[in-house]
Amino acid sequence: MSSQFALIIEDDYDASFIFAEALQAAGFETEIIRSGDTALARLTVATPDVVVLDLHLPRAAGTDILRQIRADVRLAGTRVIVATADPRMAEILEDEADLILIKPISFSQLRDLSARLRSVSPPDK
Amino acid sequence: MMMRIIRQLLDIPLADPDDQRRARLLNILLLGIAALTLLAVLATAAYDITGGVGEPGGTPIYLSSLAMLVGAVTIFAINRYGSGWLASSLFLLLLIALLSLSDKPQEVANGRTLLVFAIPIITASVLLRPYASFIMAGLSSLLIAAIGLRVQIRPNVFAMLAFFATALVSWLAAHSLERALEDLRALNRELDQRVVERTRELAEALSKNQAILEGIADGVIVFDRDSKATVANPAIANLLERPPDEITGRDIETLMGQDVDVADQEVISSLLKDKEKSYPSVKLEWGAKTLSVSVAPVRDNSGRTTGTVAVFRDFTWEAKIDRMKSAFASMVSHELRTPLNAILGYADMLQETVYGLLPDKQRGVIERIIANIGHLLSLTNNLLDQAQIEAGTLTLNVISFAPADLIDSVHGVMSVLAQTKGLKLTSQIADDVPTTLFGDRQRLHQILVNLVSNAIKFTEQGTVRVRGYRPDATHWALEVSDTGYGIPAEAQAHIFEPFRQADDSLTREYTGAGLGLSIVKQLTEMMGGEITLASEVGRGSTFTVVLPLVPTQEASP
Repeated sequence: MSSQFALIIEDDYDASFIFAEALQAAGFETEIIRSGDTALARLTVATPDVVVLDLHLPRAAGTDILRQIRADVRLAGTRVIVATADPRMAEILEDEADLILIKPISFSQLRDLSARLRSVSPPDK
Repeated sequence: MMMRIIRQLLDIPLADPDDQRRARLLNILLLGIAALTLLAVLATAAYDITGGVGEPGGTPIYLSSLAMLVGAVTIFAINRYGSGWLASSLFLLLLIALLSLSDKPQEVANGRTLLVFAIPIITASVLLRPYASFIMAGLSSLLIAAIGLRVQIRPNVFAMLAFFATALVSWLAAHSLERALEDLRALNRELDQRVVERTRELAEALSKNQAILEGIADGVIVFDRDSKATVANPAIANLLERPPDEITGRDIETLMGQDVDVADQEVISSLLKDKEKSYPSVKLEWGAKTLSVSVAPVRDNSGRTTGTVAVFRDFTWEAKIDRMKSAFASMVSHELRTPLNAILGYADMLQETVYGLLPDKQRGVIERIIANIGHLLSLTNNLLDQAQIEAGTLTLNVISFAPADLIDSVHGVMSVLAQTKGLKLTSQIADDVPTTLFGDRQRLHQILVNLVSNAIKFTEQGTVRVRGYRPDATHWALEVSDTGYGIPAEAQAHIFEPFRQADDSLTREYTGAGLGLSIVKQLTEMMGGEITLASEVGRGSTFTVVLPLVPTQEASP
């Protein structure tokens, strides 16, 4: 099975590091992006299997990034895990995100959930 | 007009009231004599004109009348501008002289005219001093004796005795009159004195009340029975930024005007309308200020309600501090959560052996780190919740959820904690609770976790029971009961207040900010529910959260 790619969009250094470690533990290759505009630019070329998306980002809103992913047919197979501290967003983004996790998100929780996503991910590449 | 002129003529302003009375009396007599003289002149004139027969001699009557008139005016002038005593004496002498000349000497000395000497004797007692009647009696006696000697008649001793007897009676009468008047004046003076004292006392009492009203920092408005402001102190004028006379005479609705929002206006109006009861203070925004208002009835001495008094206190500063405190707590909690989450994440990674296996002792340390970070996180979460509730920024996230799942989830989260203390944790849900309901699942979860963890914390052995059921058709309830220490009755009233625990010794043993139950209660109330506590020391506690039942099929057709 080829290695899958996960993009972690999170501005907090520690959180992004822990998320990356969790995804790596689940078998993903990871890349960390810490600002909204960089993420938008990166997503025009990259085709991640999983995106871990924080909603509070500098220079572009997480919801806009989510919308761009959903609007792009090239990214139809991308699974999005939204990480937010605001429980109200869980309901608002219920239909757009594949998984919504309310912060604090533990290492083991993210590792186990992303591992599950990986196993059901379509082997289209 | 006429009366006024006469009164002015008669009255002579004198310091001594007795002198004034005597002077006035003399004036009345002079006026009477002047009038009589005029009448006599007129009568004589009429007699002459009609050509009446009899003794001639109109002219002497005119002359004597004129003399009398001149005498009367002279005495009047002396009385007014000179000495009253002298005027009276002159008058009496003139009177006695006239009387002795008014008849034949024989008749004066020992006949029909003797009787008229009673007039100056009596008059003297009232015009001069009471004892003056004796002097007059003496004078009259001397006079009739002298006249008698001149016409060779033996003096009439009996008449003289009668003079003195008359003098005695006049003296007695005048003397008692003066005494009575004096008593009356003393009584009047005393009354005046009392009126002055009472007036001063009243003024003092009023000024004391006024001083209190003006001195206190709280704004006071008194409303009458028609809800019109009758009293407004300087403090309220300051608070409402308008002079007191723009407050009095108006009703509360006019005063609130645009400065108070409609909901608060209704609360205040209804408080003031109920004139029989006192109310604890209510806080409201009045313009740019935050005021607390308390209302109480005003009663008169007989207990009848005469209106209401509203006391306003400025809470602007406290409200500002409160908002700052909430903002501070909220900010601190947010800022604390980020590093705490990071620490928890790293500890989790170590525990999950991401970087290799750990020796047993280090595993134990990592477990303790995770447990303590979890505790710290729940404290900051509670602080944040409390701050948001106080600031009014906490909102409910109402979704459709399954109550059975909720209880299961709580059971799952708490079972490890119960097991480590050797407690039995049971959970059940009654069949009549709908499978799905509308509500804030996350906050209900928080409420249950809080109650269950409390129950576990304060129970040493036995069972912690979680139960969902329907107390009636329109409600459902979550109940958490334990077999722990129980809560003393005196502590039950305070247990839902922020930063409280039932017992300080327990607080030391079981650390916590004491916010949990306060938040549980406030969340329950935000959901339109109610939390109750039944507990007995040594037998355990039962917390019951009763919530309005919102079935999903009704709310979302």
